[in-house]
Amino acid sequence: MSRSIKKGPYIDNKLLKKVMKQKETGVKEPLRTWARSCTIVPEFVSHTFMIHNGKVFNKLFVTDDMVGHKLGEFSLTRTFRSHGGKKK
Amino acid sequence: MPRIAGTDIPSDKRIVVALTYFYGIGSSLSRKILKELNIDENIRARDLHEDQLSILGAHIGKNYNVEGQLRRQELQNISRLRSIGCYRGYRHRLGLPVRGQRTKTNARTRKGRKKTVAGKKGIKEMR
Repeated sequence: MSRSIKKGPYIDNKLLKKVMKQKETGVKEPLRTWARSCTIVPEFVSHTFMIHNGKVFNKLFVTDDMVGHKLGEFSLTRTFRSHGGKKK
Repeated sequence: MPRIAGTDIPSDKRIVVALTYFYGIGSSLSRKILKELNIDENIRARDLHEDQLSILGAHIGKNYNVEGQLRRQELQNISRLRSIGCYRGYRHRLGLPVRGQRTKTNARTRKGRKKTVAGKKGIKEMR
């Protein structure tokens, strides 16, 4: 068993609390968050998040397939300006 | 040449080695399988009994993911990554290394053959 399994998934407590609150009240507004390292747990499914990439918040609607990934995987931090093309 | 589980035809090598000709079976898994079935590793593949062959085939087919099935599953995993829009999927789409390797140099397996970029060494003159 690897150490990371023993430690269990990292879930941002504040974020989880906010999600549970939304579940109770029924409102589903995008949640702003900086917790990119937070694992997506089944409770997050069909909620919307605004994930910070260091500059702006990217919107993400969580679906079933995304469970087990981290939030940060869905908010890219680098911009790639393509190579090639003629210089002006 | 003996035939195990469908289309595979391992040669007349020792059976441990012959099994590794399957896609999805390496030397350690091969050894494990033979141990589970109590078959001597050192028998040549051609010297195996008919019934040993059929047992092997059934065992592998039942318990392990090999060949086409494994390939299909791998493709499925990749297409899942692509479709959910995560970073790993994005790297797959671009055909760049997925696990954080450097791309300034190397990464030729993913990027394909070298494409020479004019003026790359003399970066000063660019822009």
